Amino acid sequence: MKDTRDTDGRLVSRRRLLQSGAVAGTAAVAGCGLLSDDQATADAEDTGVSPEWIGSGPGEFGDRPEPGGTSMGDMPDLSGEITVYSGRGESLVKDLFDYLQETRYPNLTIDTNFAPAADLAATIREEGGNSPADVFFTVNAGTLGQVKSIDATQALTSETASLVDEAYRDSDDEWIGTSGRARTVPYNTDRLSASDVPESIMSFPDLSQYEGEIGWAPTYGSFKAFITAMRIIEGEDPTRQWLQGMQDLNTQEYSDEAQVARAVADGELAMGLTNHYYIQRELAVNPNEPLGTAFTRNDAGTIFNVAGAARLQSSGNPELADLFVRHLLSAEAQEYFAIRTFEYPLVDGVNPVGRLPSVTELSVPDIDLSQLADQAQSEDLLEEVGVL
Amino acid sequence: MVTGTDAATADEGVTSGRSGRSVGLTLLAGAVAVLVLLPLTWLFIASNRIGFASGLEIVTQPRTIQVVVNSIVMMTAVTAISILIGVPLAYLTVRTDLPLRRPLTVLLALPLVVPSYIGAITFVSAFGPRGEFQELLAPLGVEQLPSIYGLTGTVMIITLYTYPYVFLTTRAALKSIDTTLFDAARTLRHDRWEAFKRVTVPQIKPAVAAGALLVALYALSDFGTPQIMRYDVFTRVIYVEFHSFGNGPDMAALLSLKLVVLTVFILAIESRVRGGDNIGTEGGYVGGSDPSLHLGKWRWPAALACLALPALSLAVPVGILRMWLVRGTGTGAYNIDLVSMSLNSVGVSGAAALLATLFALPVAYVAAHRSSRLTSVVEQATYVGYAVPGVVIGLALVFLGAQYGGVLYRQGLLAFPLLIFAYVVRFIPQAVGSTRAGFLQVSRSLPEAARTLGQSPGQAFRSVTLPLVAPSLLAGAALVFLTTMKELPATLLLRPPGFNTLVTAVWRAERSAEFGLAAIPAIVLLVVSGLSMFVLLKVEGYDVE
Repeated sequence: MKDTRDTDGRLVSRRRLLQSGAVAGTAAVAGCGLLSDDQATADAEDTGVSPEWIGSGPGEFGDRPEPGGTSMGDMPDLSGEITVYSGRGESLVKDLFDYLQETRYPNLTIDTNFAPAADLAATIREEGGNSPADVFFTVNAGTLGQVKSIDATQALTSETASLVDEAYRDSDDEWIGTSGRARTVPYNTDRLSASDVPESIMSFPDLSQYEGEIGWAPTYGSFKAFITAMRIIEGEDPTRQWLQGMQDLNTQEYSDEAQVARAVADGELAMGLTNHYYIQRELAVNPNEPLGTAFTRNDAGTIFNVAGAARLQSSGNPELADLFVRHLLSAEAQEYFAIRTFEYPLVDGVNPVGRLPSVTELSVPDIDLSQLADQAQSEDLLEEVGVL
Repeated sequence: MVTGTDAATADEGVTSGRSGRSVGLTLLAGAVAVLVLLPLTWLFIASNRIGFASGLEIVTQPRTIQVVVNSIVMMTAVTAISILIGVPLAYLTVRTDLPLRRPLTVLLALPLVVPSYIGAITFVSAFGPRGEFQELLAPLGVEQLPSIYGLTGTVMIITLYTYPYVFLTTRAALKSIDTTLFDAARTLRHDRWEAFKRVTVPQIKPAVAAGALLVALYALSDFGTPQIMRYDVFTRVIYVEFHSFGNGPDMAALLSLKLVVLTVFILAIESRVRGGDNIGTEGGYVGGSDPSLHLGKWRWPAALACLALPALSLAVPVGILRMWLVRGTGTGAYNIDLVSMSLNSVGVSGAAALLATLFALPVAYVAAHRSSRLTSVVEQATYVGYAVPGVVIGLALVFLGAQYGGVLYRQGLLAFPLLIFAYVVRFIPQAVGSTRAGFLQVSRSLPEAARTLGQSPGQAFRSVTLPLVAPSLLAGAALVFLTTMKELPATLLLRPPGFNTLVTAVWRAERSAEFGLAAIPAIVLLVVSGLSMFVLLKVEGYDVE
């Protein structure tokens, strides 16, 4: 247990530890204490086939408590053929999809088109009513909102929508969050400590000592959502000044945030701006890398976006599409996102992995996620200051 | 040398029945041109959604103009350097007593099998400010290498992986031209350089221009490399627009139209440079492969110089890929089925190569034999798709398929046809160029002789012309095959669910930052593509040895 907490302290910022240490410790104790072998076996019999990831955390985090939430066993069965357009990477969701169609529901076939989210959104629009897709599953609320804005989505049933807090789904239930992703500041622990990272994202342009050593990925969707949040919270002019200030700092540009996290770990950068899981994934591969996670407080630097799914207007089998989305919110699927993609589960009773503070412990700004869909002005702004 | 127009006129005069066939062939070639231009109609439809006023405003924005200038600068540099590298290398490997000519030729052509974005990623990994190379030098006190990002890096990478187009086309021309002319010039007391300038240059100019055109259009349409090297070019802006929803894709279409205009401009320049077309000799024979230049003590230094280029362009990606493989980054959350992915890649690439070659036949024939404004427009029309980014062609076909494909599209039955067609639209110029050169090398007198012996035009074509151009057809097919193997964006948009190829596997692994998993399919891709390169060079040897 002590190891777990130490790791927390090293990876997550100091002030974060003060808030989350106790909770993480409790969760871990509960995990070891409650999940006896007998119980695990009993549960597997209950559901018929329990997915392999239940009860085992990633690497050093060991066993986890049986997740809360609604089990797949308590949901109607899936059967038939469903076409999913997935902006989420194949390596991230394949095991879950395979479990659904191969282990759990032999009568289910999932045809998945994997491509970049924007390509798929554009595809859905060009295909119009003749799209073969039933479900659009993608990485952020923005893209989901965009697909809603062209009337390509249809509302989910309340049985499905109600599984997730209102904060993480569309106001008309036309899309729903399936897992969460927090904006963070990865920093190189060999070169600086968590306290060197400002608590306010707006003071980043003052970091002249790190000129040319801060990285971002401005073409990346989450980054645009982050800038959109800054516009909403701080206003247009301060955002413009911030962008200009970062430009003056010679902020290094990368084509995706995994590269930013890697560059920080390599020491090419002192710090960067990425979603939280890029850090965790980098560490999952090389646990000893000098890579830490810091958070800003109550500003755009720590917005909490969601990956999510929408049922499409073009679906030839809307009931199956709705049920499929519901299964993404099952206890099993939420646990999968927690330990396989290092994302935040959105269903009550499923916890993030031990290295991370829980959602409620983050100092998240209070904004409507669907507002993040309006990225056009952010892009104009990014183009205006010459970032894009 | 007989110019195209003269030849055409002379041709028409031979038999009156010919002109009917000629019209038929021209129509067929025209139909191919219309077919491959068809997806571009989407560009107009989508641009139209924006409205004229705002469209004009975007197209004339200073920033848009700046990136066009950037693109032209980059493209010009890449093309010029490719010629400066490709032509001397071709000359060295064909016309001199360079040691190890065969293996050196293979090595010099091989960079063509490396997708430029893989080249870019691995170069950044190797030579980035704090890349592997810096780590190697760190004990010597090197803390940071000069940046390879920007214009220099972009030009370097694209040149390293496209100069073989010039190298290969120039080689083919050097091998097929009549060396007796050169010898004649030498006996007329021209020195070697003078003879080269006056005899060889005009003969290889069309081939160099053809290779340079492929290089220029590739540079213009490449997206991955400028993106990775952080240089603002046209395709990058198209990409950014494409990814900003709202009317983003429409904007991307509008900007792509501008790209098409630029392409037409380049095609016009190329057709000027190409000038007198007939690179064949009346006899239809080819010069000997005897080296005409003895390098003497420069033999080995020259060989070493030749080796330097592939050492850089091949060793860096292979070395970095190997390193990723050994380090084995990646959690292996999925299995990679290498065999089925390879078969998929080879299958679609083979189909695209076959179809592109068939489509290219009438276009190349007409372009080689009926030199008129119309036939050159038809030929050049097939080049336009090559300069339009794959993602735009892909989206155009998604639109056309969904609009007019009805239930066939919905059921996914059009997925493969659309995918193969997208490749044909993009890469048919490679088949057209090679096949056209093949036709030009066949002396007109040969099929005519067959005709006088009582064969029908069709029989004469099959029994005389086709066997003679077969190597060129095969070479064109091999080029299309190679390029299709590497193509990513259109593949991502149009592939049927669950259909993975080697490049989609590389993309998938790269995207989730699992470089260890990217290495294996990337290496297999290089090996399989490398094999088709041997076909290409083997075929090239065919008409000489």
